[in-house]
Amino acid sequence: MARCWRTRGGLTSRLLAQVGFLPGDTARHHRAVILDLLQEALTESGLTSQDIDCIAYTKGPGMGAPLVSVAVVARTVAQLWNKPLVGVNHCIGHIEMGRLITGATSPTVLYVSGGNTQVIAYSEHRYRIFGETIDIAVGNCLDRFARVLKISNDPSPGYNIEQMAKRGKKLVELPYTVKGMDVSFSGILSFIEDVAHRMLATGECTPEDLCFSLQETVFAMLVEITERAMAHCGSQEALIVGGVGCNVRLQEMMATMCQERGARLFATDERFCIDNGAMIAQAGWEMFRAGHRTPLSDSGVTQRYRTDEVEVTWRD
Amino acid sequence: MRDADADAGSCRGGVDTAAAPAGGAPPAHAPGPGRDAASAARGSRMRPHIFTLSVPFPTPLEAEIAHGSLAPDAEPHQRVVGKDLTVSGRILVVRWKAEDCRLLRISVINFLDQLSLVVRTMQRFGPPVSR
Repeated sequence: MARCWRTRGGLTSRLLAQVGFLPGDTARHHRAVILDLLQEALTESGLTSQDIDCIAYTKGPGMGAPLVSVAVVARTVAQLWNKPLVGVNHCIGHIEMGRLITGATSPTVLYVSGGNTQVIAYSEHRYRIFGETIDIAVGNCLDRFARVLKISNDPSPGYNIEQMAKRGKKLVELPYTVKGMDVSFSGILSFIEDVAHRMLATGECTPEDLCFSLQETVFAMLVEITERAMAHCGSQEALIVGGVGCNVRLQEMMATMCQERGARLFATDERFCIDNGAMIAQAGWEMFRAGHRTPLSDSGVTQRYRTDEVEVTWRD
Repeated sequence: MRDADADAGSCRGGVDTAAAPAGGAPPAHAPGPGRDAASAARGSRMRPHIFTLSVPFPTPLEAEIAHGSLAPDAEPHQRVVGKDLTVSGRILVVRWKAEDCRLLRISVINFLDQLSLVVRTMQRFGPPVSR
């Protein structure tokens, strides 16, 4: 049973329009749509509840109230139908879907979204975090940058930044912060908050120039830490997952770096980069096959759940 | 404890709707010490707020299922608000203990939202298969 979660009628941009996704509103949305969506998935796949082998749900990380809203439904149907439950790590969902869709065997993974920025590589039954953001995720940085410049949230701030960047002509120097294997985005954000309006007012640059410069800077930082991890691991494959992975400029820059190393780049399209239920099902299926079960008593959601906490028994 | 009484009133209505398959009005009540600003200011040397919710289900199995769905998630402000869930026959009993009235109210409201979702799920995808 595979089904992608979709927002209904521009709800995403309305939810994001405030100060990012608010947990309460997001939870309310999930509670309102989840049962219809579950029914749709069963109907569309032509399956009955007894055809289901297990119920996979997101255990974490993420926002508390929305996670709980979905988990209670998962637990309820698991008990109603007497099926086992498998709690999945959201980041691992992205990785397993990326591996399935692209066929990459053992890539260095760049996971970039509104909530997460990590460089991950598989080693001895763990998805090890080689590098990550020490403050905010790159998607969060892009979204808040868009808010400073009053860029529209429809369809998403990141998409609009990407389109505006294509029309940028001038590279404005922005703070570039790589610390060993890690990156930091709060500096670039406070810089933009301080200077953007002044620079735009004096005509020193256009909003398009700032979008272009932001992308070139933050993406170069991500390429650098990914390359460093690939060098450590001797890796010949790179995989981009997460919503920011939809960005074509990021894919181009990563492709250039990979080409220079003789490595292959894998990326998925927007149906699978962005958070979706199918990726949780995919990771859940791998886990279920390998014997993972989540007892009800252990099934509580958790806002902090490190990618390397999970024992990846389904891979050698 | 006016706030909790008002909530108990709206709780009763909410729980009725939520527990429609159970039938009958569940006794939602909120005993506990009254609190005004002065006594709140005196801090936790006062007795904590206690709020109890009893939700009847058609069968003990369904009460157990609701318990299984709603018990595992931890309270966000565990040091200040805690709750425990038990099943007694076909009744799900939820007992809160809280230092802070506002956080108690938020926790109860959130719980009722999740309870309502569990009940709707059971209505839509139940009854439970035979074991």
